[in-house]
Amino acid sequence: MLKKMAFSFPDEVLEHVFSFIQSDKDRNAVSMVCKSWYEIERWCRRKVFVGNCYAVSPRMVIRRFPEFRSIELKGKPHFADFNLVPDGWGGYVFPWIAEMAGAYPWLEEIRLKRMVVTDESLELIAKSFKNFKVLVLSSCEGFSTDGLAAIAASCKNLKELDLRDCEVDDLSAHWLSHFPETYTSLVSLNISCLGSDEASFSALERLVRRCTNLKTLRLNRAVPLDKIANILRHAPQLVEFGTGTYTADVRPDVYSDLAGVFSSCKELKSLSGFWDVIPDYLPAIYPVCSKLTSLNLSYATIQSPDLIKLVSHCPNLQRLLVLDYIEDSGLEVLASSCKDLQELRVFPSDPFGAEPNVSLTEQGLVAVSLGCPKLQSVLYFCRRMSNEALVTIARSRPNFTRFRLCIIEPKTADYLTLEPLDVGFGAIVQYCKDLRRLSLSGLLTDRVFEYIGTYAKKLEMLSVAFAGDSDLGLHHVLSGCESLRKLEIRDCPFGDKALLANAAKLETMRSLWMSSCAVSFAACKLLGQKMPRLNVEVIDERGPPDSRPENCPVDKLYIYRSIAGPRFDMPPFVWTMDEDSGLRLS
Amino acid sequence: MELQLGLSLPSTPIFPFKMLDLNSYGYELREGLGPFGINVNNNCGSCSSSCNSSSSGGADDGGGGTKTRRLLDEENRIVPKTLPLLFWTNQRPNDEDEPKDVDDHSSSAIFKNDGEGLVGWPPVKAWRKKVRRRVANVRAAVENSCGGRASSSTYVKVKMEGNAIARKIDISLHHSFESLTTTLMRMFDISDENGQKSFKLTYLDREGDWLLAEDVPWRTFIRSLKYIKLIRSRC
Repeated sequence: MLKKMAFSFPDEVLEHVFSFIQSDKDRNAVSMVCKSWYEIERWCRRKVFVGNCYAVSPRMVIRRFPEFRSIELKGKPHFADFNLVPDGWGGYVFPWIAEMAGAYPWLEEIRLKRMVVTDESLELIAKSFKNFKVLVLSSCEGFSTDGLAAIAASCKNLKELDLRDCEVDDLSAHWLSHFPETYTSLVSLNISCLGSDEASFSALERLVRRCTNLKTLRLNRAVPLDKIANILRHAPQLVEFGTGTYTADVRPDVYSDLAGVFSSCKELKSLSGFWDVIPDYLPAIYPVCSKLTSLNLSYATIQSPDLIKLVSHCPNLQRLLVLDYIEDSGLEVLASSCKDLQELRVFPSDPFGAEPNVSLTEQGLVAVSLGCPKLQSVLYFCRRMSNEALVTIARSRPNFTRFRLCIIEPKTADYLTLEPLDVGFGAIVQYCKDLRRLSLSGLLTDRVFEYIGTYAKKLEMLSVAFAGDSDLGLHHVLSGCESLRKLEIRDCPFGDKALLANAAKLETMRSLWMSSCAVSFAACKLLGQKMPRLNVEVIDERGPPDSRPENCPVDKLYIYRSIAGPRFDMPPFVWTMDEDSGLRLS
Repeated sequence: MELQLGLSLPSTPIFPFKMLDLNSYGYELREGLGPFGINVNNNCGSCSSSCNSSSSGGADDGGGGTKTRRLLDEENRIVPKTLPLLFWTNQRPNDEDEPKDVDDHSSSAIFKNDGEGLVGWPPVKAWRKKVRRRVANVRAAVENSCGGRASSSTYVKVKMEGNAIARKIDISLHHSFESLTTTLMRMFDISDENGQKSFKLTYLDREGDWLLAEDVPWRTFIRSLKYIKLIRSRC
């Protein structure tokens, strides 16, 4: 009865109030108010986000949130995208699926990123969750089209199937035919990552035709241009569309067909795909360009003039992904045409070439920063940079929240002054007070880290490569960046001192990745022994780290906080530093 | 060897960073850092002498012939010398053939520049698939001297034409086509009729091609095997 005295609202009212609170951070804050609120909140939390699948065990999650409907899990560290994490490292989703399948059958949504998903996992999902609605697999691997067939066949209420950037074993394109003829609830389908071999066009067409609620459709490369018209004709309500291969012999009937079908798509806001695009067919999309807010041309190998023409037709563009074929001249046009631009990503067309193949320099980025007042997120690959340009960019665009610059050749200095780019990046962190994500490149000394530690107070994720001179650099970051959650470092001369001096900081972060640095095995052992709530993983394909002198640097180091303790699914080349012997083998 | 751990109190760092004048960087930039970055040698035999120097910090000039030096700037403050990086590797990823999917416009292999290159640099995602396949092939070739599989799992999925249920078989238990076919025949209840094989053994290899198992030697089969499918042999 004492409990009731403290509150004027019954639990149901509080629950109703909490139902308006969706963000995880807010939910977590709510749960910390008092025991009673903790209890109420945990019973009504419907969405769970686990940023590191090894930070907590499935059983712990299920015990605390007995009635969640949606789960998001992330597995491998970000650098796995660039082949820095050896195959077999981990990130298996099966144990999670198995636990959830046993706990309750009413799970509706699963979102996974960088995890290993097997056909068994997919089959278990299909079998266990009767009301399953959303499956989003982002950069996942380990499954084949057989697993997809199981999902298609069993999930009668499936609304979303999104396989962005996954590696799928393409055994057969006929998995699409496993969607029963009675199935009509599809709203979003992204199969752009599937192979180029065969595609079951008729099954695809029939599926599109009967799913009248379809809003997002991203096709794969196997779908040829002449088939696109047939598919689009049945789905004029599409909001997001990804073409397949955008090339064919130039034929007027194919062209007019295509143009006609695009003009009937009045809701289209986002386009992608465009593999092997030939410029002659691009004008077919002009009818929809004025409404486009998102355009992904990162596979479109067309030159600057054609890109300029296209971009000039899209005044409402908010998000553009493009190859560096756009060149500085194209970016200048972008800056003057697309005043609503918020996100820009420019990818290298020839990342491994020694000489620049296009005229894309820092000038393009400066132009866009000056011209687009809403620009807040940038990923830019180029071959030269100057402090002057970076300062201009920082001053003109203080609203950057994500700034990722990759100067292709490591340790490239300011091309005008031959100095390090410390001052330039320093300006970025100083002026952009809301910066949450930063990737550095070029010639950088410890000084840039001093700037970062001093100014980047809202920075959550930092990526560093080939930078710094000494432990001082790492120390600046770890001691200064209050909001830091993820730090990934490769090929920097950071060793034991900064790491050990800031060991407590590591418990406030999600994870730290260091590869090809100078952290010794002894330091790793010490960290593992002294910090029981950290998993300190040494990844070394050369063999056991204790077969070398203790002060030898380890190859790769991955440290993350965890309340689940060390994991037991590690491959032979991963060791967890533990309290006992300092060495634990899987 | 002692490593101090500044765990408990942030006011007692390992060495007093605050005392350092961060505006005067008295130490020179790292030497010897080429475009290939820093990596650790494959055999650490040569690294023991250099390892000693990296462990002792700037604050302790230690005994035992450490190689760390201290730089003193004009006001005689201690400025830690950059830790010497003495590990070099010319990482030589194998010069592989041109990638198989030629239709990818960006056909330049990751191992351009005379076969030397940095893993994962520049950080572009699309390369991942090609490289993984090639690396997997290389690893398989290197580790497969005795016909074992490179990957840790030895179970392979087997499907029979006309049978919806897929089975799994532990391929490491077999060392010849004879033993494999015998097991498969038992598993799927197939029998030879009049000495003629009623089913053919086909498999999906790493490259995504379906091949007839009898056309290749056992080693090749094992190395590149991903899935097995039994199809009816039509005579």
